[in-house]
Amino acid sequence: MNTRIAGLIFAAILAFGTMGISAIQRAGAAPDATARAVAAAEAFLATLDAQQRAKANPPLNGSTRTVWSNLPTGIEMQVGAKERNGIKLAAVTPAQEKAALALLASTLSRDGYDKVMAIVEADQVLEERMGPKRPATSAIRFGRGEFYLSILGKPSPTDKWMIQFGGHHLAINITLLGRQNLLAPTHTGAQPASYTMAGRTIRPLGDENDKAFALINSLNEQQRKQAILSSDVRNLVLGPGTDGKTIAPEGVPASTFTAAQRGALVELIREWVGILGDAAAAAKMTDIQNGMDRTTFAWAGELENGKGAYFRIHGPTVFIEYAPQGNAPGNTDHIHTIYRDLSNDYGDRSATR
Amino acid sequence: MTRTVATAIALALAIPAPAGAHRLDEYLQAARVLLERDRLLIEIDLTPGTSVAPAVIAAIDRDHDAAISPAEAKAYGLEILGDVTVAVDGRATALSLQRIEIPSPDEIREGMGTIQLEAAGAPGALAPGRHAVEFRNRHREESSVYLVNALLSRDGVTTVLSQQRDSRQSSAHIEYELAPTGSPIAWTSIAGIAFVALATFRRRLGVKPRALAREAAGVH
Repeated sequence: MNTRIAGLIFAAILAFGTMGISAIQRAGAAPDATARAVAAAEAFLATLDAQQRAKANPPLNGSTRTVWSNLPTGIEMQVGAKERNGIKLAAVTPAQEKAALALLASTLSRDGYDKVMAIVEADQVLEERMGPKRPATSAIRFGRGEFYLSILGKPSPTDKWMIQFGGHHLAINITLLGRQNLLAPTHTGAQPASYTMAGRTIRPLGDENDKAFALINSLNEQQRKQAILSSDVRNLVLGPGTDGKTIAPEGVPASTFTAAQRGALVELIREWVGILGDAAAAAKMTDIQNGMDRTTFAWAGELENGKGAYFRIHGPTVFIEYAPQGNAPGNTDHIHTIYRDLSNDYGDRSATR
Repeated sequence: MTRTVATAIALALAIPAPAGAHRLDEYLQAARVLLERDRLLIEIDLTPGTSVAPAVIAAIDRDHDAAISPAEAKAYGLEILGDVTVAVDGRATALSLQRIEIPSPDEIREGMGTIQLEAAGAPGALAPGRHAVEFRNRHREESSVYLVNALLSRDGVTTVLSQQRDSRQSSAHIEYELAPTGSPIAWTSIAGIAFVALATFRRRLGVKPRALAREAAGVH
C-alpha cells in the first residue's frame, strides 16, 4: 500500500471516528461514557461470528490484562505472550472494522482518537519502508492491519471490564468500572516520529515533545539544575512488562514552580490523560492537580528542541516517561512513552474503594 | 527456564537483520535494584541491538545449533552475574541466579528480543535505619549502554533516600532507609497475632472470641 492510499484510508478513519463520536453523542440515550462503551462493545461483538467473538472477548483477569507491549507482531512480548489479546484489523471485514473503531472512538476524546490513529499510520509508513528489506524468515510485521482490539470481560455498566487496542508502539488499556474510565497503564510511541501525508507533516507525539522542551526551558537555573539527571536515560524505566514496580521520584519538585510553569506541566500531562474521553480525562486531571505539590519533573538530554531528550513526570497518581530510542544522542525519530498511575494501574485501587 | 527455546532456523544466522526498526549498535542493559530486610533483588533486562546481536547470540548459543537450551541460558545468566558486583553497607554480596528468560535467536537478531534476568543476594538480616547499596554492571562494556534504578518495596518498608549514578548508569550508589520493625505495619501484624493468641487461650477456657469482644466493650 502506498502512502497516498494509506493517507486516504487514514482520512476516512478520522472522518469515521468523528462521525462515530458525534452520532453517539447525539443519540443521548446513554449519558455516561461507560454506557456508551457498553453499547459500542455489544454492537462490535454482534458483528463477529462465534470463533471471532471468543478471540476478541477473553476473560478479564490478572494474566490477560497484562498482555500488551510496544513490540510488533512476531516478537514475544515482555510478559511472555506470543500474540496480543483480541482480533487484528487485518482479520476483520470492513463492517467489523467500522464497529471496532466505533468502540474505540466511544471511549476516547477526538484529539485522543486522532493521536491513536496517527500512531497507527506511522506504523503503516514503517511497514512500507521496512517490509521490502525484511528477511523472508522474519515473523515481524508492522502496519495498520497488525493492530488488535479486545474486550476483556463482559461489557457492563457496573462491573469491571477492559478495552485494549494496540500494536507496535501502541497499547491503549482502558479499564471501565462503573462510571469510571481509566487509562493507566497505556503506552504510546512513534516511528517514524514525523511523516508527511497529503502534504501535511504528521507528528503523533509532537505536542508532547514541544511542550516538554518549552517547560524545561522555562525553568530558572536552580530549578533546571534539580530537574536534569546526571546520567543518560536510554529507555523507559517502567515500560511494558514492569507492572507493579515503583521507583523513587527524581528531579525538580513542582512545588517550586510558578503558576505558569505549573500550567505548562498540567498541559504536558494532559497530552496523555486527554487521550481518554473528556469527562474521564477531566476527573483524572483534577486528581493529578490535587497531587501537584508532590509531583516531580526530571530531564536527561539536550535542551534544544529538535534534539533528543528523555523526561519523566512522577506524582502520587501519575507517572509519565518519554524516551527517544536508538544509539545516536540526537535521535528523535523513534519515541517510546508510558503513562501509569502507580497507585491505581488497571483501576485496582478504585475497585477496592 | 528459558522462555523461548523455539525451533530456530539455522539459515537465519547468516541473514542480515533489518536496520532502522530498533536498536542498532548498542546493548541496552536496564537494571533495577530492590533492598528488603533480608535480601537484595536485582533485575536486569538486556536488549542487544542488531549490530551487537550476533556476538551476543554466539556467547549464548555455545554449541552453535541455532537454539538456546536451558543449560546455555543458565550459563549466560551466570556470565552476566560474573560481571555484576554489589555490596551492601560496604560488604560484597554474592548474587544467585533466580531466573533467566532468553528470546529466540531470531528475535534477538531483529534487535527486539529482551533477555530478562533476576538475581538475589543475602546480605543478612538488616537492622532498621540507613543502608547503602553499591551496584556495578560491567557486562560487555565496550558495546553497552546502561540504566540502573532503585525500586521501592510495595509494603512501604523500603524508602530510597538517594541514588547517585555514573554518567553511563553502569554503576550506582543507592541509600535506603529501612523502616523500624515497630512501624505501623509491623505493629498491626503484632497486634493481630496477639489477638489470635489471646482468643485461642480464652477459647480453651470456654470463652468465645465474640464474648471476649463484648467483655472488652463492657457489654454483657
